[in-house]
Amino acid sequence: MTNSQFRCSAAEAEQPPVVTASGDIDLANVNEFQDVLNSAAADSDAITVDLSNVSYCDSAAVRALFTVAATTKLGLIVPATGTITTLLSISGLDRVATVTTVTTRD
Amino acid sequence: MQRILERMQSDLSDALGLAITIHDKRHDEHPSVLAALGVGAEFVDAQLSGIGGPVPDALAHQVPVLSPDLWTDDRWPELTLAAMSDGAPQYESEWEQVHGAAAVPGVWADDATVVVCCTLNRPASAATVASLFNYEQLVSAALITTAAENATAIADIITVLQSRGAIEQAKGALMGLVRCDADHAWKMLRRASQEFNVKLRELAVALVEHVSGAPAEQPATGTPITPDDRTREAARLMWAALSETPLPQ
Repeated sequence: MTNSQFRCSAAEAEQPPVVTASGDIDLANVNEFQDVLNSAAADSDAITVDLSNVSYCDSAAVRALFTVAATTKLGLIVPATGTITTLLSISGLDRVATVTTVTTRD
Repeated sequence: MQRILERMQSDLSDALGLAITIHDKRHDEHPSVLAALGVGAEFVDAQLSGIGGPVPDALAHQVPVLSPDLWTDDRWPELTLAAMSDGAPQYESEWEQVHGAAAVPGVWADDATVVVCCTLNRPASAATVASLFNYEQLVSAALITTAAENATAIADIITVLQSRGAIEQAKGALMGLVRCDADHAWKMLRRASQEFNVKLRELAVALVEHVSGAPAEQPATGTPITPDDRTREAARLMWAALSETPLPQ
């Protein structure tokens, strides 16, 4: 079930690979999230992580994103408001990653 | 802990200050600096005194906090070069070099958290945070080991940190009064706090104030210790009882 929770699409033309996450990211699956991020970052000097369909994420996800941002140029796609956006601004992750906000429909 | 910080310093060669801050909510204590290098202690004390910063945010939200350029960071408008230079003028030239900062939280027991932080003379980056992750794990592991070996050790450390100044002064006063060594003075304080059922640090503050007639020395961080009337009475009785003890011939 969680196999489809983190998908990675290969790099295309000038675009970096995109990791698309959905559902909850917490301690239960953060290792899996980190693995997908690491393998995406291994072949590219930049990656984009799409969090716009993530329903919940906590500090574990923030740690995973900081870790990958340490070695890779990180782009984030996040909802315009909500927990994820708050976490990004509290942590300052939004200052080292390129953040694109999208308006999500419920 | 100091050894871990020294290792961090050799790793993060641009660090102006490093600090380990612990907060043990089981003992209802304020966060305290457990160990620090460089400007670390003053850096964290200032943030905990109410002006805010990466360390209190990391403690409160339990997320890693990164600030590429600290003095201009709009998250903590009161945390400025001017505020730090006023608070700790002895480090004025260091504060001028401060650029980035990062703080990483961890949990080492139920309701007991730790924050490892650093401040650098260059912009801090995600790599700064990532290297703090490793050290936070080392620090948490060390705290867990210490706590397992001696459950009261950690509580004692925090108590002493919180009120080190007042306790040292109270011990000094007792040593002078009954001509004993520091260890004996400490035991007397402990015993009296148990007998009167008052907190040791409050008793220490009350004792110093009773003897000196002036406010006791207290750290600038956290809430100052204000002994209640019962504690002040305990201090008065303790001092009176010890004063009557005939000196050994």
